[in-house]
Amino acid sequence: MTTAIVGIGRTEFSRRSGRTTKAMAVEACRAAVADAGLAVSDIDGMSTYQAGDSAHPMEVSWAMGLDEIAWCNSMVGGGNLVADQVATAAAVIEAGLARAVLIYRSLNGRSGYRFGTVDGPMQVEGQFQYEAPAGFIVPPQWFASWARRHQAVYGSTCEDLGQIAITQRRHALRNPHAIRRNDPLDMETYLASRWIAEPFRVHDCTSEVDGAVAIVIAGEDVAMGTRQPPVWLVGSSNTQSGAGWAGWDDPTEMYARLAGPRIWARTGLGPTDMDFVCMYDCFTYTVMASMEGFGFCEKGQVGRYFAEGRATYGGDVVVNPHGGLLSEGYIHGLNHHYEAALQLRGDADERQVDNAGLALVTAGGGPFGGANVFSNAKP
Amino acid sequence: MKAATDGRPGDGADKASLSPPIPVPDADSEGYWAAARAGTLAICRCVECKTWMVPPLERCRYCNGRTAFEEVSGRGVIFSYIVVRHQAVPGHQVPYVVGIVELTEQAGLRLSGVIQADPAAVSIGAPVRATMVDVGTSGFRAPEFLLVP
Repeated sequence: MTTAIVGIGRTEFSRRSGRTTKAMAVEACRAAVADAGLAVSDIDGMSTYQAGDSAHPMEVSWAMGLDEIAWCNSMVGGGNLVADQVATAAAVIEAGLARAVLIYRSLNGRSGYRFGTVDGPMQVEGQFQYEAPAGFIVPPQWFASWARRHQAVYGSTCEDLGQIAITQRRHALRNPHAIRRNDPLDMETYLASRWIAEPFRVHDCTSEVDGAVAIVIAGEDVAMGTRQPPVWLVGSSNTQSGAGWAGWDDPTEMYARLAGPRIWARTGLGPTDMDFVCMYDCFTYTVMASMEGFGFCEKGQVGRYFAEGRATYGGDVVVNPHGGLLSEGYIHGLNHHYEAALQLRGDADERQVDNAGLALVTAGGGPFGGANVFSNAKP
Repeated sequence: MKAATDGRPGDGADKASLSPPIPVPDADSEGYWAAARAGTLAICRCVECKTWMVPPLERCRYCNGRTAFEEVSGRGVIFSYIVVRHQAVPGHQVPYVVGIVELTEQAGLRLSGVIQADPAAVSIGAPVRATMVDVGTSGFRAPEFLLVP
C-alpha cells in the first residue's frame, strides 16, 4: 500500500524546556494528529528512536489517551534511524499491523542529556570502551577526524565547511521556529568562532535544543480522507554498518555512498529531480559527504557548490530550507521530515521553495543512515 | 569554584583533572586490558586466517576461527587526527591531539588514542609508536602515541 505523511506536529524548540520528554512528545503527537484531522483513537501504531534519553511509546500513547496500542517500537540509536523509522512504519502499515503510525522524537538535548559532552567520571562498556581513555567518545570529535581526512585527500577546507554553515543560517533567519533565527552568520564570524575540535569550530556543530517533533504515517486508505494534502513516500534506502569511527575504511565517504545509489535505483529518480533536500546535518561535514554520496556534487566540490549559490533559492537545489539541525535545532533529524512535509504542501510561508514537488530527506552520518524521497503527487 | 570557560556547567578547567572515562572489560576485551596493564599492546588475531581485528571478537568475523591476543609492534602512521580545544570530555588538558593510527601490521588496522605531541607538529601520514600510559588512577593502562623522529 502506498503510504504518506498525513500530519505533522512539534513543540517550541528551546534551550531549557523545564518539561519531561513524555510531556513534549504528547504535545507534538497530539498536534500531528490534529493537523491530520484525525482523532487520537485513529492512531494504532507508535515508534521512536532514542539513546536512553526519552519516554517510550507505551508511556506516550497512554499519556495521550490510548489505553493500548497495536504496534509500538523504540529503536536505540540516533539520526541514522530516522529514515528507517518512516520505512518501518510504512512496512508495518503494508503488513496490516497498523493503519496510522505516529513517529516522534522528544529530547531535552540542551538542558538534559547532551550528545557532545561528558560532564563527570564515567565507565564505558561495549564498543566504545577502547576509545574511552582518550575521551574519543563524542560525535563532534568523531566527525572532525573524518573531516580532516577529507581535507587531506580532496583538499576541502574550513571555508568550504563555513559555506554550508552560512547558507543554512541564512535560511534559518526566515524560519520563526529556528533557535538561531536571530543570529546571522558570515565567513568572518564563522572563522573567528571558537574551536571545538579542529577542524571543527562551534558553527560546524548542531544547535542543541529541547523539544519534540511528531509525524503521522498512514496508508492511502486513511490518507485520502485526512485534512492536509498527503505527502507521499516514494521510496526509502537504508544501510547500517558496525565498522566504527576508527575502523570504517574511508572517512571521506559516509553511509551515503550506499544509501545514495540505492535510493535512486529504488525510485528511478536522481539528484536533479529534487526541488529541495533536507540533508542530515549533525555537522557541516555530514552535509559535505552527503552531498557527494547522494550525487549532488563531485568529491571536493561541495564548498564551491554552496559558495556559488547552487544550494539555496534560485540555485540547483535548496539544501535545508529550515536551517537544518545546525540552525533550526537538533531534534535528531525528525524536524527534517517535518520541514519536507511543510514544503511539499506549500505551507512554508516566507521560506517556501517554488514549485516544491519532490524532496530527498536524508538521515545519518558516518557508517550508518538512510534516506526517503517524498512527493506531493501520489506515486 | 569552577572556572567556566564558556558558561556551561562542568566545562571548567578542573574537568581536565578529573579521571578520563574508564573502560569496562568484558569477555571479548579482558585479554586486551590485561595485556595493557602489563605494559603490552596486544591485538586480537584469528589463529586460523591470521587476520588482526579491532575491536576484539570471540570469533573471527572473516572465517569464524578462534582468536587470541598477540603483541604488536605499536608502530604505525597517523591516518587522521583532531586537536581537541573544547573540554568536552574529562581527563586531558586542552589542547590535546587525538589520532586514528593505522598499525603497520595490517592495512586498515586502526586504533584511536591521544598523540603526545605539539598539535603543530602532527600531520597525516606521520609515523608514530605506542606507549602505554595510566588511565587516571583507575589502574587501567591504555596506548597513547609518540611521533617517531
